[in-house]
Amino acid sequence: MAVETLENLKRAVIEYDTEGAASWARKIVKKKIDPIKALDALTETIRQVGDRFGRGELWLPDLVGAADAMQAATPILEEELKKTGAKREALGTVVAGTVFGDIHSIGKSMVCTLLVAGGFEVHDLGVNIKAEEFLEATEKYQADILAMSALLTTTAAEQKKVIDTLKEKGIREKVKVMVGGGAITANFAQSIGADGYDPTAPGAVELARRLIGK
Amino acid sequence: MLKGFTRKFKPLEILTQEQVEEIHRATLDVLWQTGVRFESERALKLFAKNGCKVDYKMHLVRFMPDLVEECLRRCPSRHLVRSRDPKHDLMIGGNTVYFDASVGMRAADPDTGEWHRPTLRENYNGVKVLDALDNIHRLTSYCPYADIKEIPAAMQYTINAACRFRYSTKVSRTEHAAGSGQFAMKMAHTCGMDINANMEASPPLTFYEDAITNAFWACEVPEYSHFPVVFADGDIMAATAPATFAGSLVTSSAEITAGIVMVQLLQPGKPVAAGHFVFPMDMRYGHPGFGGIECALHNVAFNQIWRRHDIPIIDYGGALFTLAKNIGYQTGADKMQNLIISAISGANVIAIAGGLFAELTWSPELAILDNDLCGAVGRFIEGFEVSGQTLALDVIHEVGPIPGIYLNQAHTREWWKKEFYASQVMDTLPYDVWIKEGKKNALNYAKERLKEILATHEVSVPLTEEQDRDINNIIEEAMVYYRGKGMLSEQDVIQCRKTWKSVR
Repeated sequence: MAVETLENLKRAVIEYDTEGAASWARKIVKKKIDPIKALDALTETIRQVGDRFGRGELWLPDLVGAADAMQAATPILEEELKKTGAKREALGTVVAGTVFGDIHSIGKSMVCTLLVAGGFEVHDLGVNIKAEEFLEATEKYQADILAMSALLTTTAAEQKKVIDTLKEKGIREKVKVMVGGGAITANFAQSIGADGYDPTAPGAVELARRLIGK
Repeated sequence: MLKGFTRKFKPLEILTQEQVEEIHRATLDVLWQTGVRFESERALKLFAKNGCKVDYKMHLVRFMPDLVEECLRRCPSRHLVRSRDPKHDLMIGGNTVYFDASVGMRAADPDTGEWHRPTLRENYNGVKVLDALDNIHRLTSYCPYADIKEIPAAMQYTINAACRFRYSTKVSRTEHAAGSGQFAMKMAHTCGMDINANMEASPPLTFYEDAITNAFWACEVPEYSHFPVVFADGDIMAATAPATFAGSLVTSSAEITAGIVMVQLLQPGKPVAAGHFVFPMDMRYGHPGFGGIECALHNVAFNQIWRRHDIPIIDYGGALFTLAKNIGYQTGADKMQNLIISAISGANVIAIAGGLFAELTWSPELAILDNDLCGAVGRFIEGFEVSGQTLALDVIHEVGPIPGIYLNQAHTREWWKKEFYASQVMDTLPYDVWIKEGKKNALNYAKERLKEILATHEVSVPLTEEQDRDINNIIEEAMVYYRGKGMLSEQDVIQCRKTWKSVR
């Protein structure tokens, strides 16, 4: 029964069925199926979707559709996990967002989806995120990596501001910082003191693994 | 006044009149049912005062169809944009077609496409080239470069505008990011010029505060009352707009129309232009599909819709950039297909010159090549005359069949230069001559022309000493402004001042 329910959850993600995924997650909770197993099933499914995207079999709308379905189910399962007090293994924790003054989300969302597919626990803060919000989330989630996106020349400087604020608060050494976006280059990333930069979403996952040594 | 080119035939239409009306009705429906988000307290109050339904919490404005129609009617169908050199004035609207510059953050190597951060000198040279090109009539925002070396990010747009005023008398456009438009407008005013104040949407169905504030300045500051406000939609099909052409035409129309309503409420009769900047999304990497044929298809319909309102049209679309990294087959194909389709379907201004890869690179050599495409397309849209003279019956009768020939006829000498287009850069040589001349291609000719322009071109009306001093003062004022906003450090100010003063 549990296996069948988990399969239904996976199918909902593959079929981009947001409501279905949430509904199966609620059924999993009701049937007292181990939420860790369900979250692992979700990660495995999104990894398969990510792999198929990487091979050119699926396209961005497929990736985003599957990620949305997964995100509809995840909070329900995580809430249940909290109640049990159990802890789920992740490769690392990432806090991500587009910097203050910039409302471009597509690249950032792609990176977040592929990071989840790659086994990371990702907290996507959204767009137009202020330095203090990045800091707060980094501390709250005890993030291993802070990932920032900026499309515009004018907002790229905001990434430096966030890094400088991390230094001011004395927590720069506690977190790896990766940056990306249209306006960013490897030289720029280096000049602002970021730990890494990659121009593509799949490359960002590899970079994240390297940064935490996994 | 710059004459530009005149489209002398009916514009290409791909929609029936009923389809145009259907899209317009759908636009009114979106404006009323869903509304548009305005991230500005001032704008929300303005809309509420004029009877719109305003949700202050969600920053959402819903527009009554009657008000929308009334505001669309208030827009002039033509407007004058003045230069400090009257021969560079523009009259936007009707059948006139002008060509505009493009932009890129960085400088592209013309052979490899690899980019580097341009120096301020390179930026000046880019402006000089655009000023010299005979088929480029207008400059745009932050053109040519927006990532100038040793200029802090917050000052890029202001320094860039100052370069344009210093080395060109062609009219240009503000950028509204981070409030930079106020400094460009001040510079324009001090130089005795008009400038197009931009107000760009942030799709879907949103205007952010910088864009709104820029339009408020253009409408409320008395000295700027004749500055046109130019809109751009900015939709990416399948990402920030529906994936369908019809659906994205609705969202694009709703965004621009909402902006127009705001401007016409602020200053009834304000000159405006509807700008097209819509692209399909690349479904692998998520970037806009610049240069594709979809841009051209969308553009034809966009032009038809805005001609319904008799509002001037600017096309920032397909010819502006390409996804090609270097100057080659793809660049030429992307640019030409979009340029010609836009020109024959009713755009009044088409942005093209120099923009290479995805708004990220610009090239003066490409600007020279684009200038030539504009000349060719301009020649095309001017059509040809059918008259007693051009039907040439007398000469046809006189020459008769072989061995008759037209080359030695006075009629030929009189007409060929008017009828043919003489490219300045395309390789048109016979094979042997091509070998002898060093096997040059169009890019080689463009490089030669670039050297010539940089060695000889001077701006037609240089700034007076007083105007130049005013520009410097406005730059200082901008630095104080950004310093106050925490966007510049003291070191940035010193660096910016040093770079600006070191190059002229």
